[in-house]
Amino acid sequence: MAILQVIDVTKVYEGKVTNRALNQLSFEVEKGEFLAVMGPSGSGKTTLLNLISTIDKPTSGEIIFNGTKPHLFNKTELAYFRRRELGFIFQDFNLLPMLTVEENIVLPLTLDNQPVSLMEERVNTLAEKLGLMGVLTKRPDELSGGQAQRVAIARALIHEPAIILADEPTGNLDSHNSREVLELLSKINKERNATIIMVTHDPIAASFCDRVLFIKDGEYFNEIYRDDRRQTFFQRILNVLSLLGGRVGDLSSIRLP
Amino acid sequence: MTFHQFAYRNVIRNFRIYAAFFMASFFSVFVFFIYSMIMFHPEIDEGYLGNVPIGGLVFAEIILVVFSWFFIFYSMKAFLEARAKEFAILLHLGMEKRQLSRLIFLETTLIGTLSIACGILFGYAFTKFFFMIVREILMLDQLPLYFKWEPFVLTAAVYFSAFVIISIISINFSPERKIIDLLKWYHFVNINDHFSKKRAILAVILLAIGYVLALLTNRVNFYPFVVLIPILITIGTYFFFTDSTSYFVHYMKERKSFSWKKSRMLSIAEQTLIMKNNGKMFFVVTMVSAAAFLCVGLLAALSSYTSKYDQLNPLGLIYKGHIDNPYERAHIRSILNELELKGLSYHLTRFEVKKQTSSYTNYEVEVFRESDINSLLFSYGYPMVRLDSGEGMFIPYSEEAIKKLSKRTVHTVLKENNVPISINQVYPELIFPSSIVSPNAIIISDEDFLRLKKPYSGYPHVEPGYHLFAFDIPQWLEAQDVGLSIYKEVQKEYEKERYGLPFYFENAGLNYSFVLSTYALFTLVGLLVAAVFLLAAGSFIYFKIHTNLDSEKRKFDVLKRMGIADSEIKRLVTTQLFPQFFLPWGVAMVHSLFAFLALQNILKDIANISIVKEIIFAFSFIILLQVIYFYLIRWRYIAHVKN
Repeated sequence: MAILQVIDVTKVYEGKVTNRALNQLSFEVEKGEFLAVMGPSGSGKTTLLNLISTIDKPTSGEIIFNGTKPHLFNKTELAYFRRRELGFIFQDFNLLPMLTVEENIVLPLTLDNQPVSLMEERVNTLAEKLGLMGVLTKRPDELSGGQAQRVAIARALIHEPAIILADEPTGNLDSHNSREVLELLSKINKERNATIIMVTHDPIAASFCDRVLFIKDGEYFNEIYRDDRRQTFFQRILNVLSLLGGRVGDLSSIRLP
Repeated sequence: MTFHQFAYRNVIRNFRIYAAFFMASFFSVFVFFIYSMIMFHPEIDEGYLGNVPIGGLVFAEIILVVFSWFFIFYSMKAFLEARAKEFAILLHLGMEKRQLSRLIFLETTLIGTLSIACGILFGYAFTKFFFMIVREILMLDQLPLYFKWEPFVLTAAVYFSAFVIISIISINFSPERKIIDLLKWYHFVNINDHFSKKRAILAVILLAIGYVLALLTNRVNFYPFVVLIPILITIGTYFFFTDSTSYFVHYMKERKSFSWKKSRMLSIAEQTLIMKNNGKMFFVVTMVSAAAFLCVGLLAALSSYTSKYDQLNPLGLIYKGHIDNPYERAHIRSILNELELKGLSYHLTRFEVKKQTSSYTNYEVEVFRESDINSLLFSYGYPMVRLDSGEGMFIPYSEEAIKKLSKRTVHTVLKENNVPISINQVYPELIFPSSIVSPNAIIISDEDFLRLKKPYSGYPHVEPGYHLFAFDIPQWLEAQDVGLSIYKEVQKEYEKERYGLPFYFENAGLNYSFVLSTYALFTLVGLLVAAVFLLAAGSFIYFKIHTNLDSEKRKFDVLKRMGIADSEIKRLVTTQLFPQFFLPWGVAMVHSLFAFLALQNILKDIANISIVKEIIFAFSFIILLQVIYFYLIRWRYIAHVKN
């Protein structure tokens, strides 16, 4: 069953220069799926993520979430929806510097006014799983990049959201930490059956997913599914990217002048 | 585009960013200039303007200068901090550190020059208005607007040098930071929440001791206390803001069931940062506002004292002497002569007051004769006293005493002459100022008075009574020079340890002129200091908030994405701003409250005047101002972080 349905979504930014960021984009995400969204800069990835996060509204089209339509909610309902149903992972972690690691992790639950015992229980479980036990009382500025992103992942998981949205989660990490974070995400995806939508530039990151959706200039371009071996999946991703990069006609050999 | 043009365009096109700094400087210049105009006024005669010594004003100006230097320095630092990212881009593009310093220097002098010019211009425009107020306060005949170069040059020189020196200092002494840190908001926030538990507790103890001492202040221990209390309070306040507040926030954080609730966790964590980073500034704001509150409160108290002066001192001149005072004739004659010479109408009542022992208390009472009192009351235009034999009436020594004594009935016998008196009423107005009559003064009928033949039992060791010459002068203000030589003798005697003269003299007009000139000086200086201090205290907070606005915005962006409702943002901003607005002022208010309580103790002894009403009025006004300011800032703040 589809947990998220994006139906004919168009987003136009009105301003001094009108800009059509998304154009009639449609796709579905199944429960428990790990989806990567790829595309060149300016293809509308971030706009798409903002629309799914409900902090922006589509100009036309619908986003249906587990049967509900968040764009019909008022502002307060939307805030409650986000804090319960969505988890966020950002490129630059966006941990709040004045809170300790532990406080950063429990923040979504405190906002939702959950009992302290529940928060402590979940923090301990998550911290153990993510290897954060030793740093719980530290502040974000005392952490390494990998640790900081793991804290952010813990924050995105603690309230057990329906969908986790990740915006270039490995963009600020070295290869070792990137790998660790991606393995962690796919582990969470399998163990908890969590739905993850990840926007990325990085084909290696995308190769950890079940499916890669390519968009170009705000429109659906292509999608490919994972096969048994990551190597070949990675290769296929690269192939699509090379098509994405230039004009399609450049590489077509059948066309005659 | 030359380098100068770049600096110029920076300032002119981004004036919104510079506006806060400009306004702060402009206002200091404005106030300073207006007061300089008074200092150099041609009407000033031998250092006095009317009755007010200009020296006091000079002193206030010096305080103002020192303070405004500090103030400009602080706003400059906050301002540079707020623009750190802009500087980082310039450095990134390859600007030398030396060039950056020059840029900042040029910009500061440009803003400085602008604010000096505007300050002086507006200052001169408002000087006439200010002179009108001063003329009213000082009761001068005229205080014309004038044009001399001194105030202009003084103001320009003081502030121009301030801007130059401060810009050089703040450029060269600002901590070196890496470009990369300047570009990232994340590393900006300096987190350091260490505090010492010992100092936290010490602060509370010091403040408590200071407050208790303030409550115990009276006329005897006034001088040691007046030195000791401010020292205790200053140190206590300092540690209070550097350690106690952090300790308290830490304590709240430890209680998870309290702090891990809704947005409370965020506000509390935010306070850690605010208290630690701004502790020193809060200390300064607190001390400065406490001083300003004290000024405002004193003004209110003094103005109520002067307005009541007429009531408290109904007599123009009073001469009091022993029964065998050898100077009596000569003094009275000279006073009468002076009054005639001035052409002032007067009504003289001569009292013969006898001391007797009351059987009721076994202490002395001062006995006045009904017909003497009536003669004075007639001249006041007050209702007369009608007493039968055996009846008595209290003479009130203060307004409170009227209420207190009206419910009392005393049956007593004047022991020396065995005259029974029942006292069951009090005269409903003040007849004499409190310094003249004793708290035990009564009026009895003429018949009974004539029966007082035997003198007071303490005689001859104690005076058996005195003569009182009460001059009721309708135009008492004009009689301030009458009896000046006698007054000087009395003043001289007062400086000795024992008062040995057989006479005492009081001139209400002269006293009033002293009170008035003190009041006027206080008003002028107090208004100046209070205005600048209050403004500065507010601006400090404003600058601090302005500096952190960008990282704040970033923080709220994250929170909004994570699902924080608008109403929660509002609440969060309120709880975040509230302590920094009201904690320093609240502490300052408590400080000045205790200062007033101490003052009340002393003033009660001196003038018998209650200042509670005035203080409450002054404080409510200040609180109202602060609340308005708070909502103004909160409104701007929410608007900024929301979009």
